[in-house]
Amino acid sequence: MRRAVAPLLAVTVAMVLADSAVVTLALPDILQHLDATVGQVAWVLIAYNIVLGVAAVPAAALLRVGRPEVLSAIGIAAFAGSSAACAAAGSIEVLLAARCVQALGGALALVGCLILLVSDRGERRGLTAWITAGVIGTAIGPVAGGLLTQAISWQAIFVVQVPFAALAVPAALAVRAGKQHRTDRHRPALRANLTQALLSAALTAALFLLVLLLVEGWKHSPASAALTVSVVPIAALCAAPLARLFSTPHHVEVAVGCFLIAGGLAGLAIPPSSHLGWTIAPQALVGLGLGLTVDRLTTMAMEARLPQATHAGWTIAARHIGVVVGLAILTPVFTADLADAEEPAQQAITALVLDAPLQPQSKIAVAQALGDELDSQHGQVPDLSSAFDGLEVDPAERAATDALERDLTDQLERAATLAFRDSFLIGAGLALLALLTVLVPARRRAS
Amino acid sequence: MTSLPRWVALPVAAVVVVAGVIGVQLARGGGTYQPLSPPPACAERPVTTQAEGLEGLTERLVLIGLADAACTLGVSREELTLDLARSGSVTDEQVDALRDGLLSATRQMKSDGTLPQASDLLDEALTNADLNRYLERAIRALPDRIVNSTVRIDDVLERAIGALDLRALLTDLSDQDAVEDQVNRAVTRAVKDSIIARVKDLLPDLPGLG
Repeated sequence: MRRAVAPLLAVTVAMVLADSAVVTLALPDILQHLDATVGQVAWVLIAYNIVLGVAAVPAAALLRVGRPEVLSAIGIAAFAGSSAACAAAGSIEVLLAARCVQALGGALALVGCLILLVSDRGERRGLTAWITAGVIGTAIGPVAGGLLTQAISWQAIFVVQVPFAALAVPAALAVRAGKQHRTDRHRPALRANLTQALLSAALTAALFLLVLLLVEGWKHSPASAALTVSVVPIAALCAAPLARLFSTPHHVEVAVGCFLIAGGLAGLAIPPSSHLGWTIAPQALVGLGLGLTVDRLTTMAMEARLPQATHAGWTIAARHIGVVVGLAILTPVFTADLADAEEPAQQAITALVLDAPLQPQSKIAVAQALGDELDSQHGQVPDLSSAFDGLEVDPAERAATDALERDLTDQLERAATLAFRDSFLIGAGLALLALLTVLVPARRRAS
Repeated sequence: MTSLPRWVALPVAAVVVVAGVIGVQLARGGGTYQPLSPPPACAERPVTTQAEGLEGLTERLVLIGLADAACTLGVSREELTLDLARSGSVTDEQVDALRDGLLSATRQMKSDGTLPQASDLLDEALTNADLNRYLERAIRALPDRIVNSTVRIDDVLERAIGALDLRALLTDLSDQDAVEDQVNRAVTRAVKDSIIARVKDLLPDLPGLG
């Protein structure tokens, strides 16, 4: 059991942070299964991040006055129980309530695991394990969620967390945590936390909007979207050895990371086609940037600051409030852009149908099928294949109809890509703003 | 001379890689990957059709007429099509523009020689028409020259377009049977009126044709 303690606590940290974005690819399924609205379903993501962001610092305060191993175990148990409740939720209201409890337990578990890992592994190794688990969890969340949704169901995302969290409860209780500092000896690292918040907002564009573009805009399955976005965690893991190779100072590393994230998001804004290959290089830039910044900023926000748990709380708060701010800025932008893209897309479709090399009766049949599909999919990118599947055309016209379907799908993909462009560029702007917070020289204190 | 620190390579590499990725995306058309924009309202729109006979004629006429009406209204052909397909009510301006567009299309097709002659459409028209078989046989026996001099397609089309209740037709576009019924009635009436007018021209003093 002793040797399993640290891995189980690290897995708990990764799960709590992965939950921030793990449901992204499952949102369409949740929407359908729980008969929710788009607005309600977005709160499955938002509620968790808000509660985690707001509860992190109070959780740290609680852990300073109570017994960390007991409080951490309570937090992990609450996380496990509410994960099970999420999986069993029969309505969107129950799911949202369970997500809030999950985030509350997660906040306690997250900060508690830091204290326990440091107690178990020592200051340096414990902190490194906590930060690394966090980076991995953040990066693989959408990938894991997408694969589980496709392979099993959206409920599986929550079910698989339960046994790991349940095993982590005795692991937490097995650690004897030392006495915690009860007074605030250092102020929060404003600059590092601000940079972290801005980057989290920017990364929301990469992790949340990209999967939406792949699944809703380009109509890929959650599994292929998940595999595609796995470039981000893979690149993130390559970042640290790269930085070590160049012996880069910390602030330069963070600045380069911000720049790479901005560049990657700008690249995602301008793909030359809807081929998944065009997202690989921009995603690699985002992943490298993520790997260069998140762990370094977390270290900078916590290094030589006491009490450590409180500063861990501040950095978690900064990260998740950043995610919420990112969602708050980007969601209305891309929703409005998606609505604005409807008219040009419909005009492009109309032009192609009018000029299609088909018999007039076939054109009328296609137009009617498309009209019905477009009407039923208001506010979402329509799936034209269902309109064409039910179409009865002369076998001699099958090739022309197939070509028309391909051309129309291309127009829709173009419209969807255009609708996401502004949001990715705003994400890039947020990353550049984060870069600015690194580049502005620090004010020297008067001696 | 002091050499640059090794870490400088990381930001330089970052700038090069980001510029490379964005440069390649833009060079391959990344900045212009967006939906097809319809040409301006009065741009030349080439019209082709896969259909022959009456269907082909109708399609060409509608496409040219639609483009002409869109030009009159100052909107793209696609915008007008969507507007007509979506809205429950059609404006007087749209009805007038469409009627003028169809009339203009008839004149354009006549002038560029793409308007078929009556004899080209006779066989199809008779097959579709519910005529007494003796009358049908008699009409089929007429030489093309007589058919073409008696029934002038441009005149028939102009009369049919003038008689069509475009507002009702556009409001009820989804009901194909109703549309076909209205068009058939208008065309039949136009053919009849055109023949009477032609005979009147040839025999101005014949009683009973006024």
